[in-house]
Amino acid sequence: MSSLLGGLPQGNKEIKSLKAFSTAAERFEGAHVLCPGCAHSIIVREVLNATNDNLVVGASTGCLEVCTAIYPHTSWDCSWIHIGFENSSTAIAGAERANMALRRKGRIDPNTPEPKFVAFGGDGATYDIGFQWLSGCFERGHNMMYVCLDNEVYANTGGQRSSSTPIGASATTTPAGSHSYGEKQNKKDMIAIMAAHGSPYVAQVAPNKWKDMVKKIQKGFDANGPVYINAMSACTTEWKFPIHQTIEVSDMATDSLVFPLYEIIDGKELNITYRPKNIVPVRDYLGVQPRFKHLFKPENEYLIQEWQTRVDAQWEYLQRREEAKV
Amino acid sequence: MAREKAKRGKVSMYRNKRQMELNSVEVWDGNFANSHALRQASVDVVSAYPITPSTGTVEGYAAHNANGYVDGEMIMTESEHAAMSGCIGASAAGARAATATSSQGLALMVETLYQASGMRLPIVLCMINRALAAPLNVNGDHSDMYLANQSGWISIDACTPEESYDLVLCAFRIGEHLDVRLPVIVNQDGFLTSHKAQNVRPLSDDQAYDFVGDYKEVNSMLNFDKPVTHGVQTESDWHFEHKAKQNAAMMASPKVIEEVFEEYAKISGRKYNMIETYKTEDADIIIVCLGTTYQTAQVAADKMREEGVKAGVLMPRVFRPTQLDMLAEKLKGAKAVVCMDRSAPGGQTGLLYQDVAAALFNTSARPLLSNIVYGLGGRDINIENLKSIYTHAKAEVDAGKLDGAIQRFVGVRGPELKYYSVEG
Amino acid sequence: MAQHKDFVNNLYKGKEHFENSIFDMGWDEIVQGAAVFSFEGEIDHTVVNVHPEDRNVAETNSQNKYVGDWRVIKPVWNVDICIDCQNCWLFCPDSSIVSRDKEMVGIDYDHCKGCGICVEVCPTNPKSLIMFDEHIKNEDALTQWPEKKQKEEK
Repeated sequence: MSSLLGGLPQGNKEIKSLKAFSTAAERFEGAHVLCPGCAHSIIVREVLNATNDNLVVGASTGCLEVCTAIYPHTSWDCSWIHIGFENSSTAIAGAERANMALRRKGRIDPNTPEPKFVAFGGDGATYDIGFQWLSGCFERGHNMMYVCLDNEVYANTGGQRSSSTPIGASATTTPAGSHSYGEKQNKKDMIAIMAAHGSPYVAQVAPNKWKDMVKKIQKGFDANGPVYINAMSACTTEWKFPIHQTIEVSDMATDSLVFPLYEIIDGKELNITYRPKNIVPVRDYLGVQPRFKHLFKPENEYLIQEWQTRVDAQWEYLQRREEAKV
Repeated sequence: MAREKAKRGKVSMYRNKRQMELNSVEVWDGNFANSHALRQASVDVVSAYPITPSTGTVEGYAAHNANGYVDGEMIMTESEHAAMSGCIGASAAGARAATATSSQGLALMVETLYQASGMRLPIVLCMINRALAAPLNVNGDHSDMYLANQSGWISIDACTPEESYDLVLCAFRIGEHLDVRLPVIVNQDGFLTSHKAQNVRPLSDDQAYDFVGDYKEVNSMLNFDKPVTHGVQTESDWHFEHKAKQNAAMMASPKVIEEVFEEYAKISGRKYNMIETYKTEDADIIIVCLGTTYQTAQVAADKMREEGVKAGVLMPRVFRPTQLDMLAEKLKGAKAVVCMDRSAPGGQTGLLYQDVAAALFNTSARPLLSNIVYGLGGRDINIENLKSIYTHAKAEVDAGKLDGAIQRFVGVRGPELKYYSVEG
Repeated sequence: MAQHKDFVNNLYKGKEHFENSIFDMGWDEIVQGAAVFSFEGEIDHTVVNVHPEDRNVAETNSQNKYVGDWRVIKPVWNVDICIDCQNCWLFCPDSSIVSRDKEMVGIDYDHCKGCGICVEVCPTNPKSLIMFDEHIKNEDALTQWPEKKQKEEK
C-alpha cells in the first residue's frame, strides 16, 4: 500500500511536524481492552512512535498491562514483560543488565544497535507499591526509561487513592461524604524525588501536547542513565468525564498549570517547556471532573481557593528555579 | 537427551574468560562453595541482596567479580523481592540468572518465586535455610524451604559445602533442560553448613563449565526477530491449562534430574540420588529428615545398630517434586518411620510427615508413622537426641502402637508437647 | 458527493484462518510460561519498517481481535472536508484512524470503540469526522453533514 521506509535509521523519529510523525509504523496494536477514551494508549503510542530502535518494554500490573496482554492476545509488536505490581522497573533493569552481559560475552553481536529499555507503571505502581524498586533502579543508574502513567488513582481496581491522588479528589477509599471532602493529602512530588536520585533527565509530559512529549521522550532516550517521565493520563472512568473529552480535559490540565510541563536536566537545570497563552483558572479544570464536584459546595469553596493558591505557588517556584538555573 | 547432546556438540563458548586454579581439595564453607559454583557456571546476571546467613554466597561472588573472574553482570538490589525481580527480567531477556537468600528474604520474594516458575524461567536460587520470624532468628531451620514448597520451584537439599557446590552446578543443567525449564532452589542449613568450612573437591573451571554448558535461550526478549510477550494475564478460561502445563514439567523433571546426577557422577565421582538412604534396606526404624540432621542421624543409626536396633535414615535429596512411589518403595519394609520436620508446623503435621503418609497410604505398608518437630531456630540436634528418638520409636514398635500421639516436639524446654492423639 | 475510503476492512482474522488455532489447544500444546508471540515465526524485517497490516501477525496478536461491538455510535469520515492535519490519527486511543504517507485513509471499524475523541480534535469547520448512530450507512451519513458553523458574535 504505502511506501514505508526501506531501512529506517535507528534512533529517534523525525518530528518536524505532526504529518511527519504520522508516518510512524506503530508497534502498539489496536483491539486492546482499555476503556474507550483512555489516555494511556495515546501516551504509549506517542512514546513508542518516538523511536525506531528495538524496544524491550515492561509494565506493572495495572490498566495498561491487564488490557494489553490478556491471554491469548498481545497488543505489543515488541518484546514485553510483566512480572508484578511493584517491579516493572526492576524487570527492565534486569533485562538491561542481561543485554550488557550478553554483549560483553559476545552472545549478542556488540556491533548491532542497542535496544531501548522502557518500563511503564501507573501512579499506584510508581508512587506507592513500586517506589522502592524504582528508587533502587535509579540509584543503580540503569540505562532505562520509566514512564509513569499518572491518572491519580488505582484505576484498574476501581479508583482507590494513591499517593498521587490530589487533595479533594473523591476516590473510593477516600470518598467525599457528609464528613469528608475526599483525599486529604497533597500529591507526592515524584519528579523532584526522581531528580534527586541523580537522574540525567526527568520530565512531566501530557499527551495533548504531543510535540513536547515526543521531544522529551527522545531526549530521555538520548540520555545516559535512568530517565523518569511523569505522564499525565486523564482517566475518563475515574475522573468521570465523558469519554470523548480526554484531550479537552488534558488541555485544561496543562493550561491551568495543574500539570505544568517542565524538565529537569541532571537534577539542576529546570526548564519550563510549555507556557499557556491563556492560563485557565484551576476552578474550571476541577469543574469538568465529577471526582471534584463536591468541592463546589459552598462549605468546600475554600478548598478551591487553596487549590488555586497551591498551583500558583508551584508555578512561581518553577519559574524562579528556571530563572536561577538551579 | 540426544537433542541435548547434539546442541552441545560445539565446545561451550561463553565461560568466564579469567580462570582460577583450584586445589584438588579446598576448604570452603557452604557460602563460599556456592560462590565458586556460580562463578564456574558463568552466570550472566547475579541479582542479589544480602541476608544472614546467605550473605557469604553473595560476598564471595562479589569478590570474584571484583577480581575479574566474572564476565557477567552483578546487580546489588535494594531488597530480595527486587533481587528476584531482576533475575526474572534478566532470564526473560535470555540470560543465565542466579541469586541467594534466606528466611525473611525468601519470604519477601515469595511473590516473585511464583512468578518466576509460572513464567518458566530457569533461575537458580542458593538458599541458606534459616528460621522465619517472629521471633527473629538468624539460625538454621527449614521454615524457609517449607515456605517455598508450593512455589513451583524444584527444591534440592545439600548437607555439606561440597554437596551444595555440586548441586548448584547440577541445578543449572536441570532447570535449563528444554524438557524442564523451571527454576531450582539448592538448600543448605544455615550456619551449620553455610558457615562451616569443610573439604570440598571442586571440579576445575573447565570441567565445571563444560558440564553446565552454554545457556540455551528460550523466548528471549532480546531476540528481536521474534518479539515475545512475557507475563500475561490468564483468566478462568486459560489459567488452569497453564498451571497444569507447568506442573506437568515439574512432574517430568525427575527423569532429567536423574540423568544429570548420573552425568555428574561420572565427572566428579559423587553420585546423588532423588532419595538418599542410609542402611534402610533392612531397617526396622527409619528416620526421615533433611539437611545436616541426615548426617548426624547416620552416626546415631550406626550406634543404634551396635546396640542391636536396625536403624536407618532417609533424606529426600529432591524435596520437590515429591516422589511418592520412591518413598513408599524405600519405606515399606520398616516397622516404624519417624518423620522429623525442622519447621514450625503452624497447626498441622510437618511436610515430610505429610509426604510419607501420602506415599504409604495407598500401599499395604503400615509402619508406625510419627512426626517430630525439632531444631527450630537453630536448636541443636545431636547424636544423643537422635538415639533417644530411635529408642522411643523402638519402644513403640515393641508395644505395637504409637505412644499416644502422632506429633511430638523434641528438644524444647517445658511440659511435653504432643498432638494428634491416637487411641491406645 | 464525497467518497470515503474504507481502508482497512476485516482485519479480524477468525479462528478458521489459522491452521493451528490456539483456541483449539489444550495444556500440552500451548506455549510454556504463557508466552505470547506477536508474529508468526521469526520476522525477517525490522518491525518499524513495515506497517501493521503488512506484518505477519500471529493469531495471538490483538490486531486480529474485534472490538467494534463496543460501539453504539461510530465516527464517519468526510474526505472532502478533511485537511490531513493528523490530529485524529494522533489522539485515537485505539489506533483506529489510519494514516498513510501523511494522508488520512480511513477508519478501522474493527478496532474503533466509538469514543469520539477524533471528532473533538478535528479542527475543520464543519468537522471532517462526526459521530453517527452505529446503524447508519456511511454514505447516508455523508448526506447529512452539517453546514459550516458561523463564528459567534462576541
